[in-house]
Amino acid sequence: MSVPALEVREVSKDFGRIIALRGVSFSVQSGEFVSILGRNGAGKTTLLNIISGVSRPSEGEVKLFGTDPSDRANKAKLAVISHEMFLYGNLTAIENLEYYSRIYNVPDAKQRVEEVLSDVELTHRRFDLVATYSRGMTQRLTIARALLHEPSLLLLDEPFTGLDQHAIGMLIALLKKQKEMGRTILLTTHDLHTATELSDRYVVIAKHKIVKDGLIVDTNPDAIRAEFFSAEAGGLES
Amino acid sequence: MMRTAISILKKDLRMEFRSKESILAMWIFSLLIFVIFNFTFEVSRLVMLEIAPGLLWVAFVFSGMFGLNQSFALEKENGNLRAMALMPVDGGQIYVGKFFSVTIIMLMFEALIFPIFIIFYDLQLSLGMFRLIPVLLAGTIGFTSLGTILSAVAVHTRNQQILLSLLLWPLVSPIIIWSVTLTGMVLSGEVTAAFYPLLLRVGAFDVIFFTLSYMLFDFILED
Repeated sequence: MSVPALEVREVSKDFGRIIALRGVSFSVQSGEFVSILGRNGAGKTTLLNIISGVSRPSEGEVKLFGTDPSDRANKAKLAVISHEMFLYGNLTAIENLEYYSRIYNVPDAKQRVEEVLSDVELTHRRFDLVATYSRGMTQRLTIARALLHEPSLLLLDEPFTGLDQHAIGMLIALLKKQKEMGRTILLTTHDLHTATELSDRYVVIAKHKIVKDGLIVDTNPDAIRAEFFSAEAGGLES
Repeated sequence: MMRTAISILKKDLRMEFRSKESILAMWIFSLLIFVIFNFTFEVSRLVMLEIAPGLLWVAFVFSGMFGLNQSFALEKENGNLRAMALMPVDGGQIYVGKFFSVTIIMLMFEALIFPIFIIFYDLQLSLGMFRLIPVLLAGTIGFTSLGTILSAVAVHTRNQQILLSLLLWPLVSPIIIWSVTLTGMVLSGEVTAAFYPLLLRVGAFDVIFFTLSYMLFDFILED
């Protein structure tokens, strides 16, 4: 059997007396789209930070493509989209993308920058400062930046937050395209409908640990919602 | 290998030239220092030569603190500091890029403010003044090599400016004191045999601070 794209083994994380994660274990195969569901403060962002190698677990280990997440080779295969833009307001869209394409050593950078700008329908604003963009446009450019180096693993931390319907629709279409291209995607959200529309699998985190790991085909949003709330109430906790 | 450092340097300089935020603020702050000291103390030219080197470095260092704070505050905005931690590059490269951008901005500011200093304090230009170039370079590099890494540490905290001052001052003091001494020698025209060994000592500290910071920067980027 091939090495999973992501393997999380008994990961715990605390910040002093504050517990963020307790014994979290799951794995994601290459090409799989997994949604992590949980309320605010459940530990979803902490988990993504550990997976991306930005933060270290207090206990347990994470393997990306069989090696440590902080390996440079792994970082080159990874992209993170969150509510943080990772963009410079005082640079234009094209300057931001050219900067990241140099950092990520993107081949045929000029052509690739034009491609991703076209994908997110921002070609007409490419010479404008990012500071002049609306929230939705900024988030679209964030997506373009993340896809620039054609990552194998996409980590999405509440990417729909603050987006209008048009931007949400565009992001969903882009994610479906990425899935068709065989990319591995891990999405944290509390939007059950979007999660069920996009994902192959879902993982529910409640009270800092995984309480459910199931396939989307076996269930529907209402069933997940029922599980979600019973977990929050303590019903699914062992 | 230097590709990342050059990209960061170009990005920082482009943003600075576009906004002129750091250079302008540093220049105005230094101008205020010169104006206040010039009109507050009525002293003879001899006494002025005594205090001028210290005054020059007070202006450089206090304004430099602003530049250092600004450098990583820009990265903190919009989560770019996290984006840096996610980059598939050696942290040392990020440090080199940030170090050169802060140093170049500070040297440009020094070049802009030095003529004002000469005019305000009625100092006479001479060929010997060219000896100030290695002094300013060595002192500035010492200040920014240490300041860049400490600024990256402080930016994670709420009291960024206070923490940066607390961390930076004790460590950078020897370099500043020696730089003031060297500047005094040049301005008074009394360059003694101690000049070059002292300059060499500042240079040695620069190399130590730069090398250590380069090696440690990967750890600073982690949460």
